[in-house]
Amino acid sequence: MSDTETQEIEQGSGHEADLPQGDLAYRMAHAAPNLLPGEVKAHPDPWQYVVVAVVLAVITGVEIAVSYMEGDIPDGLIVVLLLAMMVVKFILVASWFMHLRTDQPVFKRLFIVGAIAAPLLYLVVLATLHGVLAS
Amino acid sequence: MATVEQTPTGPGAGELVPARHDDPGTAANSTHTGVANAKLAMWLFLSSDCLFFGAFIATYLLYRDRPGQTGPTPQDVYNIPFTSVTSFILLMSSLTMVLALAAVQRGDYRRFRIWILATALFGATFIGGQIFEFTEFTRKGLNVDTNLFGSSFFILTGIHGTHVLIGIVWLVALWGLSMQSRISQSDSERVEIAGLYWHFVDVVWIVIFTVIYLLPK
Repeated sequence: MSDTETQEIEQGSGHEADLPQGDLAYRMAHAAPNLLPGEVKAHPDPWQYVVVAVVLAVITGVEIAVSYMEGDIPDGLIVVLLLAMMVVKFILVASWFMHLRTDQPVFKRLFIVGAIAAPLLYLVVLATLHGVLAS
Repeated sequence: MATVEQTPTGPGAGELVPARHDDPGTAANSTHTGVANAKLAMWLFLSSDCLFFGAFIATYLLYRDRPGQTGPTPQDVYNIPFTSVTSFILLMSSLTMVLALAAVQRGDYRRFRIWILATALFGATFIGGQIFEFTEFTRKGLNVDTNLFGSSFFILTGIHGTHVLIGIVWLVALWGLSMQSRISQSDSERVEIAGLYWHFVDVVWIVIFTVIYLLPK
């Protein structure tokens, strides 16, 4: 690589605006200085983490309280409430603590594939085998 | 402005390889795609681990109430208040983990060591609780070979416990490296990758706790 080429890359060649946003050179040219590769925004500050943890603790408390209402409210409602709270907790940890909110979308897509594929696949397995095993 | 290096010779010569913004050349932060290789690999692993745990959760749901089983049932052995406390401890370990990451990212190594050690201790407390729970179940007559419920329960929670144990070893190793001043601000991505694993163990327990322990039988 010639000195001129190195200089152009380091200082900006002036043609970055012509590159598509998905282009590697474009992304590296526009990376924020204090971020690691893969991050598009800075991580939350510690107080935001504490707030998220408090919310998680409260939801866990409500979950346990709801589980003790068996017999007082319909089981179907308990199932819906518990699963909804489970999903909220899952999303809070994944998006805030695992930084899916602030990292490049490719990580989110990868994780969503696994997190959605697993329940879908095993729901089909359960629906199929439950009947087979019962008979 | 980020620099971009060009590989001089050999395979891939002339290919643009972005350098890390503050410490070029560290393995954890190298990239050929614009995202850190190690982080990408960890997310791929976590995505596949979702399917791994999903298989054991589905097996448990399928087998826990098979008719004709002898021995204790879930209602006979579960101690919800006790498991709630250990679940809460594991949940809070995720907070200490992100606080450890935030500390190392701003170069506060003393707080990093405190938070990373707290995370490992919370994890160890969770494992202690799980060992106690297993001992209690065995005392009540439920072993891994007692019935299908016992087999699927012990295997699912045992595999999760093994994940936690691996996480604890990882965290203690990071703490040890930091004690030897071998973890610096520029290594924060190594801590972040360990954190991703730890939080994943936590989200899996969020699902296990609700589906296995709390849902009406």
